[in-house]
Amino acid sequence: MELILIVIVIILTGVIVFPKIKNILTDKNKSTSNDRIRIEDALKHLYDCEDKNINCSLQSIAGSLSISFDQSTKVVERLESLGLVTNGNHLHLTNEGRSYALRVIRVHRLWERYLADETSIPENEWHLNAELQEHNLTPDDAKALAAQLGNPVYDPHGDPIPTIDGQLPKKEWRLLTSLKSGEIARIIHIEDEPNTIYAQLVAEGLFAGMHVKMIESTSDRIRFEANGEEVIIAPLFAGNISIAAISKFEKVPEVYKRLIELKPGEEAEVLGLSKSCRGVQRRRLMDLGVVPGSKISNEFVSTWGDPIAYKICGATIGLRKKQANQIFIKPTTKETVNV
Amino acid sequence: MSEEKNKNDVLTLADELRWEIGEDFHDSLAESIYSDASKIAAVSVIYDDKKPKFDFDRTIDRIVTSRWLGFPIMFLILSVVFWITIEGSNIPSQFLASILVDTVHPALKSFADSINTPWWLSGILIDGAYLAVAWVIAVMLPPMMIFFPLFSLLEDFGYLPRVAFNMDNLYRRVGAHGKQALTMSMGFGCNAAGVVASRIIDSPRERLIAIITNNFSLCNGRWPTQILIATIFIGSTAPAHLAGIVSAGAVVGIALLGIFFSLVVSWFLSRTVLKGEASTFSLELPPYRPPRILRTLYTSIIDRTIFVLWRAVVFAFPAGIVIWLVANIHFGDTTIAELFINWANPLGFLIGLNGVILLAYIIAIPANEIVIPTILMLTVLVVGISEVGGGNGVMFELDSIEATSAILHAGGWTMLTGVSLMLFSLLHNPCSTTIYTIYKETGSIKWTLVSTFLPIIMGIAVCFTVAQIWKIFI
Repeated sequence: MELILIVIVIILTGVIVFPKIKNILTDKNKSTSNDRIRIEDALKHLYDCEDKNINCSLQSIAGSLSISFDQSTKVVERLESLGLVTNGNHLHLTNEGRSYALRVIRVHRLWERYLADETSIPENEWHLNAELQEHNLTPDDAKALAAQLGNPVYDPHGDPIPTIDGQLPKKEWRLLTSLKSGEIARIIHIEDEPNTIYAQLVAEGLFAGMHVKMIESTSDRIRFEANGEEVIIAPLFAGNISIAAISKFEKVPEVYKRLIELKPGEEAEVLGLSKSCRGVQRRRLMDLGVVPGSKISNEFVSTWGDPIAYKICGATIGLRKKQANQIFIKPTTKETVNV
Repeated sequence: MSEEKNKNDVLTLADELRWEIGEDFHDSLAESIYSDASKIAAVSVIYDDKKPKFDFDRTIDRIVTSRWLGFPIMFLILSVVFWITIEGSNIPSQFLASILVDTVHPALKSFADSINTPWWLSGILIDGAYLAVAWVIAVMLPPMMIFFPLFSLLEDFGYLPRVAFNMDNLYRRVGAHGKQALTMSMGFGCNAAGVVASRIIDSPRERLIAIITNNFSLCNGRWPTQILIATIFIGSTAPAHLAGIVSAGAVVGIALLGIFFSLVVSWFLSRTVLKGEASTFSLELPPYRPPRILRTLYTSIIDRTIFVLWRAVVFAFPAGIVIWLVANIHFGDTTIAELFINWANPLGFLIGLNGVILLAYIIAIPANEIVIPTILMLTVLVVGISEVGGGNGVMFELDSIEATSAILHAGGWTMLTGVSLMLFSLLHNPCSTTIYTIYKETGSIKWTLVSTFLPIIMGIAVCFTVAQIWKIFI
């Protein structure tokens, strides 16, 4: 009996102490990898400055990485000693530094694409999750991930993903604030930092790929039409939205309704799928025949009102309100047929 | 040289074009395939434009999904299915038991004696392995042969997808798929079959949730345990004319508690460990059609019944040997079973159970059907009753509830033991057949371990809480 008690005590102490031992071990690894994380974050910051044509300083690095000025000095010294940065009048990336930064950005954007397409991680968590993963994935992992995703070119925010040898397209974008009244453009990017602003823009239903028509742009508010609805946001927020002119081949979509507005017994034509419907769910709906031009009709409603049964391509399919909200339609008006 | 240059030019051009094609070209491809297909269909398929005056499918759909009739119809149909299963399987179960357990078993024993088989060999093979297998077949086979075909007929007719459609709102709120209502109902027949049925859910996250929570459906191996214990410990506290209703109410209460737990655990899983798994929704509602009875009978018996039964038999065989051995191997004067029971008693009392029940749940892991026979055998062994049962290591059940009750009371059982056993029977690890099926279906050791240990931890926590509160107030 005593023997059994002793064994139990040993196992229990083992269970209690073991996680601590593990913590001590991982903490040691953490301090060495912390260095690398800072270096990579600093490089990303420097690349971002270069991209936006502003000058970087030790201060801005300290601010961006939330570290002290002394620590920021140390990081830059380290970057110089590695030959990634030159420190003349201003901080400049060397070619090695730039390609290192692009490699980190590539992993970051690939990972966001992965989260958007293959998981159900909510949109407002992609960025923070990718901030962690960009330091963890090895080049081989990144290559395998890119292949698995079908070598995507853009991340879900509309940013181009650098190719494996660091190529990026020429950029031709401007900010939403610069759009004049009456002009139509396409959102190509919604900046995901800071997270609070991004979350609000997403909550407004804005997404990369959406067409917008400016109504009024003043210094206190930006009023524009997106998806047939009027959206009003502060200029500070609009500064986080980049737009591109629409090319001459591009179809500007008609004002559409959403499938959810279709009443029982009514029929409509599918105009398209919202960009916010991604990955497996998007493929599933397209497989079922939810593509521009198909006819869709509301057949009957379940006992609790959600889901709703729709007839698509002759098959009856139950869809939840959430999905019905992501399908754009043009109701076919029966009246015009009668006339 | 120029060829080389040409090649590089093409590659550079391709790289530049990559950015211009953008990310929508997959969509455009799918669209163009559909538009081509519809163009072809438009010229080659002739539609019968006349709308039928009476649309049979829609009429049924409007009735079974209507606000007031939808759920009453569903409860009625499912209750009838369960009632037919329980009533209909009694007679064949007793018949099989009378042959396999009461006739063949003694015959095998006397045959073994007549050819001078050593007592331990006939014990291991006949009292252990054979009896466990016979028991599992006798209890498991009849309900499955009735339940699975009935369920498949409803599915084939087209009614079950409408149940999923109606129930989806509830399951959506806990992060699951409406079809989980079907896999859960299937779990009331057999959890292993319920886990296999989760294949109908094509979204990875919702499918895992359905698999992990299937164990909270009280399977047909646990219904008899619930009914027996409720009759002995709960029904007996009520006045005689109410005893039946009270004990039936207690069993239904446990089953509803199981549904409640399956929803809570689904909610918990979808918001924690399974948060990141991909999730999609679409629910096909096929047209109604007359069920193909023979085909359905064939597939439900071969694919479901025989398949599950075979797995159960494979696991029952070694478990029968273990059950016999623990009751027959001695250390000094006591058997392993008694050693373990004495050691586990304090732990068992803490959660309202006792050492016998804990040991029974460990060694009777292949099937919930043999838990009660094992408990009876172990109780008789520990208490030292010699006039009932077939000796050490031979599982048995008694025809009379009074006699069973007497044995359990002699084993020191109280009403708390009964209530705790009913809770623990609902909340404990799936049987080994189900565990193996979960592994086969998910291909993941991690999710198999989660499905195994999550219910045990919950069971211990719930039983502990109940036992402590009980001791304070009663």
